[in-house]
Amino acid sequence: MSADSETTASDWSLMDPKWNDDVPIYRQLRDRVVAMLLEGVLTDGDPLPSVRNVAAEYRLNPLTVLKGYQELVDEELVEKKRGRGMYVLPGVREKLLNDEKERFLRDQWPDVLATIQRLELDPAELLANGHDE
Amino acid sequence: MAALIEARGVSKHFGDVRAVDDVSFNIERGRIVGLIGPNGAGKTTLLQAVLGLTSCNGTLRVCGHDPFRERQALMNSVSYVADVAVLPKWITVSRLLDYVATVHPKFVLSDAEAALRQTKIKPNAKVKALSKGMVAQLHLSIIMAIDAELLILDEPTLGLDILFRKSFYSELLSDYFNEDRTIIITTHQVEEIENILTDVMFIDDGKLVLDESLESIGEQYTELMASSEHAAAARALTPIAERSVFGQTVFTFAGTPRERLKELGEVRTPGLADLFVARISRERAA
Repeated sequence: MSADSETTASDWSLMDPKWNDDVPIYRQLRDRVVAMLLEGVLTDGDPLPSVRNVAAEYRLNPLTVLKGYQELVDEELVEKKRGRGMYVLPGVREKLLNDEKERFLRDQWPDVLATIQRLELDPAELLANGHDE
Repeated sequence: MAALIEARGVSKHFGDVRAVDDVSFNIERGRIVGLIGPNGAGKTTLLQAVLGLTSCNGTLRVCGHDPFRERQALMNSVSYVADVAVLPKWITVSRLLDYVATVHPKFVLSDAEAALRQTKIKPNAKVKALSKGMVAQLHLSIIMAIDAELLILDEPTLGLDILFRKSFYSELLSDYFNEDRTIIITTHQVEEIENILTDVMFIDDGKLVLDESLESIGEQYTELMASSEHAAAARALTPIAERSVFGQTVFTFAGTPRERLKELGEVRTPGLADLFVARISRERAA
C-alpha cells in the first residue's frame, strides 16, 4: 500500500454510520465529507469513493449519494471528472475554514461578545483559561 | 421510453376475496421500489401477476410484454426470488449452476461462480448440506448473474441474520444495481431497506394506498413532535395520525407546510414504518 493510497468507502465506515432523522441523508453525507475535508482526512486532489461504493457501504440509494456529491460540486469543494469520479479541489480546507470563520463571526461571535461584556470579563483572563483545558 | 411496468386497473379475485383490487401504477427503469403491506395484503399476488404466474383483469405491461400471455418472452428480462424459494435438496451447487446455464439464456455462469467464490459455499456441496443463509447466498449468486431488466425479491432476507442481511443489500447495490435495472423488494423489515429505495408502494387489502417517490414523501409528509400545550393547535391542522411517546404527541401531517408546523414543535420526515401505520389505519377507518 502506498502512503497516498486513495480513500475507500470502507475507511468511511469507521465513522458512526447512524443517520439522524431530522436532516435528509444526502445532506448528512455532504456534512460528513466536509468534516473529513476540515480534518484533513481528505485533501487536495484526493478522489472521493465512487457513488456505487458509498451506496453499498452505507446501503443507500445511489441517487441519494449522487445528490450529496452534487451539493459538494455546487459548493465548489469537489469536481467531477468525466468517467473518473469526484476529486477534491485544491485549497478546499482554507475555503471551508474561511466559511466557518465567517459563520462564527456572523452567527456566534456577537452573542459571545455580548456575554463577555455583560460578565465584564478580561480577554487576557479568558485566553489564559482556555489553555488549561 | 415507456415505463418498465404499466398497470391499469389490475385486479385478481379468488372467489369473493379481492386479493388485488383495481390497482394502477407505473414503475420506471432504474428505480428501487419497496412494496410494503401486511400479511395477506396482496403483495405476492400482485408480483405473481407482474411475472405472469397468474392471470388478472385489467391491463398489465411488463418490459413491453403482456406477462401472462407472453410469459416465455418476459422470462428473458426478469429474475425473481420467491419468499418460498426452494432448491432441490439433492443437487450439487455446480450442477445447479450448469442447469441454470442451460435453461436461462441471460445467465452468465462465470459471474455466478465468481460470486460464490466470495462465500464459503463449495461447488461440490449439496443443497441439503447448506445452511439457510448459504441457500439464500446461492440464490442471490444465481439471480445476480442473470442480466435481467427487472429483479423481484419477495422477502429476500426472511429468517436470515443481521450480518447476512446487511451484506445482501450491500452486494445488491455494488454488484448488481445500475440505472438500467429495476428492483422491486417486498419485506417486513422496512427500516432495513428504506434508505435504498427510490419509491415506495403501500398495499393493504388488495388496494394501493400510497405510491410515491421517497423524495416526494420528504416533501409531503411531516412528523411533528409537540408538547401537550401545542397539541390542540396541532390537531386543528388535521393530522392524518397521532400517537403518544413519553408524554409528547407525535402527529403525522400530509401536505401541511413545514414552516407552519415548526412553530408547534420539532419536525422531521416520518420513517416508512410509521408512515405506513398512519396511512393504513386511516384507510381502514375511512
